[in-house]
Amino acid sequence: MQLRINQTTYEVDADADTPLLWVIRDDLGLTGTKYGCGLAQCGACSVLVDGAVVRACVTPVAGVVGREITTIEAVEADAVGKRVVSAWVKHQVAQCGYCQSGQVMAATALLKHTPHPSDAQIAAAMVNLCRCGTYNAIHAAVHDVAAAQENA
Amino acid sequence: MTKSRLATTLGCFALLCLVIAAVLAWYVTRTPASPFAAQASAAPPDPALVQRGEYVARLGDCVACHSLPEAAPFTGGLKMATPLGAIYATNITADRATGIGAYSLADFDRAVRHGVTPDGRRLYPAMPYPSYAKLSDDDIRALYAFFMHGVSPAAQANKPSEIPWPLNLRWPIALWNGLFTDPAPYPAKPDQDAQWNRGAYIVQGPGHCGSCHTPRGLAFNEKGLSEASKTYLAGGLLDGWYAPSLRNDPNTGLGRWNEADIVSFLKHGRNRHAVVYGSMTEAFNNSTQFMSDEDLGAIAHYLKSLPGDPSRDGPAWQYQASELSAASSAPGAHTYVSRCATCHGLDGRGQAEWMPPLAGATSALAREDASAINITLNGSQRIVAAGVPDAYRMPAFREQLSDREIAEVLSFVRSTWGNHGGAVEAKAVGKLREHTGPASSNPIILQMR
Repeated sequence: MQLRINQTTYEVDADADTPLLWVIRDDLGLTGTKYGCGLAQCGACSVLVDGAVVRACVTPVAGVVGREITTIEAVEADAVGKRVVSAWVKHQVAQCGYCQSGQVMAATALLKHTPHPSDAQIAAAMVNLCRCGTYNAIHAAVHDVAAAQENA
Repeated sequence: MTKSRLATTLGCFALLCLVIAAVLAWYVTRTPASPFAAQASAAPPDPALVQRGEYVARLGDCVACHSLPEAAPFTGGLKMATPLGAIYATNITADRATGIGAYSLADFDRAVRHGVTPDGRRLYPAMPYPSYAKLSDDDIRALYAFFMHGVSPAAQANKPSEIPWPLNLRWPIALWNGLFTDPAPYPAKPDQDAQWNRGAYIVQGPGHCGSCHTPRGLAFNEKGLSEASKTYLAGGLLDGWYAPSLRNDPNTGLGRWNEADIVSFLKHGRNRHAVVYGSMTEAFNNSTQFMSDEDLGAIAHYLKSLPGDPSRDGPAWQYQASELSAASSAPGAHTYVSRCATCHGLDGRGQAEWMPPLAGATSALAREDASAINITLNGSQRIVAAGVPDAYRMPAFREQLSDREIAEVLSFVRSTWGNHGGAVEAKAVGKLREHTGPASSNPIILQMR
């Protein structure tokens, strides 16, 4: 089957029910997307499919054929994604960093859909888990991007 | 004069009581007839018969209760809670001291089809002999050959039941049997074709589908043992799960499934409507996936012949689109979006046949909310199809969501996309939380040899 990932078309040989995450990491070597819980609970494996955030560990690969997939490796090709990464660096959000690629993808999806999210909307969308507890820094960075967009 | 008449009356009454007691004593201890009674045990049977017996054991899912994952096959030990106290499945290997090695074919027949041991003791109907009564003589013979020659004898003493005296007296079960069971093997219906009859035989007999899917009466009796009853396979509540209707009910049953859907569900554990979960996981992992395509087709054919009941099932479900986003404010909607939608979809339609839709799901349409609550609290067991554990399974949310949050998200699911199962109360969640535990994340496959 053919997959569109980061503006590139890949020929993939996988069973229909293979989780997208295994294809991305093991078959294509795009290891920026992380395996966390495998149960759609933590969000470490978040990627964008047609601009919406999905958890790659519970996404059967057959379901994303013909759709546009974006992983952390290409998030800066997106204008909003680029600003999110800059804000992440500015606020030094990452501590151990394992969950952060998923956090960046979730924040990018939120800000593309809702450029000026309220606190409640941020809390509702940023449900990825972070064992270092970087939640306050994440909130600050998301607010920063939203404010910058307002000024731009 | 009056005195002597009184004495006569009393005497007659006493005699009558004695006669009744004698008849009763005979009735409750008698050995049921077996067509194999006069047959002596033969030499080791044809290997083909043993193999046939193994298949019958698959149809009957004997292993589900008579084996534990860590123990030798068929040595029993599974604890079963009953309202009266716990009982334990027994060792049915051919070990002579602790198993059934000393059973003749007739003894075996009486135990399997009539629930009576060689010493005249009645089995508890946790052993589904009300269904197994319908097994054919040929299948009983094959099953016996398998347990005597296909399964390794293993010494493992049976655990005594924990039902206290006088509730542990077994003889009243004979009366229960007289009222609620039919000892005759399955009678083929001449007005139906061979496929239908084969399906009816498996469903009613070895498959004992009714044990879970038929509602039970006050005496814990199944309210029907064949399609002659309108409540046969109409859905039942058992062990914290609602086993849905297997009749043509569009909401709580198989009304929207075609025969191929049913075959796929029983063979692969999934189809476009649903994925196996709850108690059905054991039936799938150990039994239905091993059935032949012909038998699965026959089961589907038979089940699709059972009419639904609109007065019980209500108006047929139809999909209604619903706008959902992370900002949805309805109680439960936010939990759904953040916890459930990644798999089950913002539109409630799931993902192909891998993650089941909740829109139109039986658990979201049935009045009984036990399955919806149970699967949310405890998650699903691993489905192992053709030796491969499933890639996706429902996680347990008991540690993450409170009773109220689960009640809210389920009330939301059961009232969105056209679902009309109705609200779930936090109290009901709390009650099931106490009586259940999380599903194991390890694949559990019981070996038969």
